[in-house]
Amino acid sequence: MDNLLPYADGIRNPLLDQWMDEGGKVVGYSCVATPREILDAAGILPYRIRALGNQDKELADAYLARFNCSFCRACLQLGLDGTYDFLDGLVETNGCDHLRGMFENWQYVKNFDFFHYLKVPHIVTEESLEFLAEEMELYREAISEYFEKDISDDSLAESMQRNNRVRAKMKELFSLRERRSPGITGAEALAVILLESSLPPSSFEDYLDDLIDERREKKITGFRSRLLLAGSATDDLGLLREIEDLGGLVVADALCYGTRAFWNLPELEGDPIHALADAYLKNMLCPRMFDDYPSRLKFVMDAAGRADIDGAVLVYNKFCDLHGVENVRLRMDLEKEGIPVLVLEKEYGAGADIGRIRTRVQAFLERIGG
Amino acid sequence: MSLGFELKPGLMDRVYALLSLMDSFPENMSDEELEGLNIALPTDLRRTITAVMDPRYRDVSIAFFKAVSSWLTNAIEIKQKGGKVILVPFNFPPEALDIFENCAPITSEVLSTFGVAALEGQGEPYWDFAMGLGMPDSLCSANTIELGSALSRDDFLPDAIAQTAPGGCDVNSKIHEFVAAYLDIPQFFLEKPTENTGRGRELYNKYFHRLMRDMQEFLGEELKEERVRTIMEKANRCTELYYELWDLQKYVPCPVPNIFSLYTYGVRFTMWGTDDAVNILEMMVLKSKELLEKGVYPAPEERARSLWIYTGYYFDFLGFFNWMEENGITYLGDGLDLYFPAPVDTSSMDAMLEGIAEAAWNMPMTRQVGGESMLTCWLDDILHAARELGATCCVYCGHHACKQTWSVFSAVRNEIQKRAGIPTLCLQGDSWIRRMTPTSVLQEEISSFVDNVVDRKRRVRSKRRARSGKGIE
Repeated sequence: MDNLLPYADGIRNPLLDQWMDEGGKVVGYSCVATPREILDAAGILPYRIRALGNQDKELADAYLARFNCSFCRACLQLGLDGTYDFLDGLVETNGCDHLRGMFENWQYVKNFDFFHYLKVPHIVTEESLEFLAEEMELYREAISEYFEKDISDDSLAESMQRNNRVRAKMKELFSLRERRSPGITGAEALAVILLESSLPPSSFEDYLDDLIDERREKKITGFRSRLLLAGSATDDLGLLREIEDLGGLVVADALCYGTRAFWNLPELEGDPIHALADAYLKNMLCPRMFDDYPSRLKFVMDAAGRADIDGAVLVYNKFCDLHGVENVRLRMDLEKEGIPVLVLEKEYGAGADIGRIRTRVQAFLERIGG
Repeated sequence: MSLGFELKPGLMDRVYALLSLMDSFPENMSDEELEGLNIALPTDLRRTITAVMDPRYRDVSIAFFKAVSSWLTNAIEIKQKGGKVILVPFNFPPEALDIFENCAPITSEVLSTFGVAALEGQGEPYWDFAMGLGMPDSLCSANTIELGSALSRDDFLPDAIAQTAPGGCDVNSKIHEFVAAYLDIPQFFLEKPTENTGRGRELYNKYFHRLMRDMQEFLGEELKEERVRTIMEKANRCTELYYELWDLQKYVPCPVPNIFSLYTYGVRFTMWGTDDAVNILEMMVLKSKELLEKGVYPAPEERARSLWIYTGYYFDFLGFFNWMEENGITYLGDGLDLYFPAPVDTSSMDAMLEGIAEAAWNMPMTRQVGGESMLTCWLDDILHAARELGATCCVYCGHHACKQTWSVFSAVRNEIQKRAGIPTLCLQGDSWIRRMTPTSVLQEEISSFVDNVVDRKRRVRSKRRARSGKGIE
């Protein structure tokens, strides 16, 4: 199969266009809390909204404010300037306050015919799991009704198995990055994540199989340090390329456009809707969740241990308080374990303040002896 | 003077020490006594004291500050007796904890506000401490000032935190969570589902009952129906008085002093359902009625009736509440006044707990930006208040930390103009930290807006009415 990685640099790609030309539907979502399986079971392509480092926010800033996260503003910009007009609908989740604002404004201006708000609790309790299962049922009904697609339990179970199979393969691919001689770079791994949520499922899975085979034998050399990257939503290939160009190879991550989206394989037992609710809420390794910091810390520490990192870079977009506060705690805990940490507050879009970012990363690499 | 405990340099201890001084103020303090007192006070506190000691409502202010002092005394005494002090954010009704005998709530944002109003250096040292730990400077100073003090561990410390902002505010929830972990104290959750149908309400009820069970276990105390009833009956009286004040605000010119907005929610967030709360609210109602009867308004004419759709500014009461009044700008309240309490059915324990859960669901922030749509829920309350109170303009203070309101403000402003026909001024600043935008700049912007937009519109309307023989408004 051709190398599809360059497709990750565009909002659209030829395979996506072909899917749409053949009458396939595409629904946009943003947060990792959105169960893609339900869309997939309806034969709809779940497309994860991205901004790819877009620095233009002129239209978005007429709605969101400069005190809102620049990633959400960059995505909204693409929503308002027509880039995302190919979507057949949007699914909102309450991932964070900025994201809620992004969706509300997007819908306020564009008024999609299909717009569904899936409300995801912030704590895991018996009651919240039951509520989320109801939410998922409503989500299934809304898709089924609007797109006139039957989503039976069987088709949903099948979709869940397919998605789990893909997750397992992603895990295999990302494990190649953790080796002493990594088989894939951090930027390439991010590109794969972006492809996963913008390609037709079968095309992606085929490509993934080929890529794993190809990268098993590959050995990336010539880097100065092995880094773990964690923090805010980071779909910015430019940022990772900058870090890696400086010699810091990202061999592990704890990002929602990263391993957080697939590493923990959900269990599939019982009624599929309840199984999905359980799988998503209990595996949401995001600081939007409360009373669950130990799981997030363990996830980071496990990744750091597996990949034998030299240091951790904790990024967050300016005004992202969830990660801004979480990073303080994470920094304290990682440093306690002897892991050097760089906390990098930034504007979204690597070009936005790239000079400063380069200087800080370079200094960090010097500090950790890379 | 002995406070009965070791005074630490933290915010709550310092505020408590200063408020304790006010306990000795005579209720009918004279201008001469005030002048004498002011000589001894540092600048920041002198400005606050001058603002709240306006002769029109001096007795109410003294009673209010004495009540706040009692509120803090109560927390300190409960802790000394082995009870528990729970730190809560402002969006939690204090009566939900006051119904326990061995428990006292202290409210992060209220403590920050008093720190800013009373302490020399305001809340800045505590904010700086939090920043020194590496916290992002986009946090909300409303709570981070008090929490910064707690993080220093050089203050009166709570025994637990009730986390009631998840669902309504990420930044509030996150910093409270951090503090609980840093101080190694337990946290209890009450999440607001962003779902406004019966399903969301039902889930909230389950969460609320879980919280009550957790509290009973933590405190080792069973709820006593009679105690709950006594508190809820007083809470119901507070509710009646809230609406009396609301109705008094409808008069033109408004007889309710600007600062009463702050006192009303100060009461709501600390002592609702207590004798002190009833007393303060009654005093505010009586005072407003008295001013109405006498036709007293602090400026020659009421030029603008402003509804502050989020919060006010709290680092210079004199330059804010009083300055506006003197310039004919009425403060019809702000977003923190928009909780619309309902009478609680006191016939059974279940009914009373249901009433408290309903109150919690309707607390400010929770009911607006914790709603299903931040835009719709916030806007509905603004439009209701603006129409009911006859607002001639709205003002958004633009507190930079509030990502939720900032994210929908543009659409809200458009809709206010479209649906209510009134303009909205957008300011930018930090409501609790003066460093970001000083009072003088805020005053200039408010003046320009009122002079060039609001008052001009009023004068044009008056002229038109005069010409058409309909008289002057």
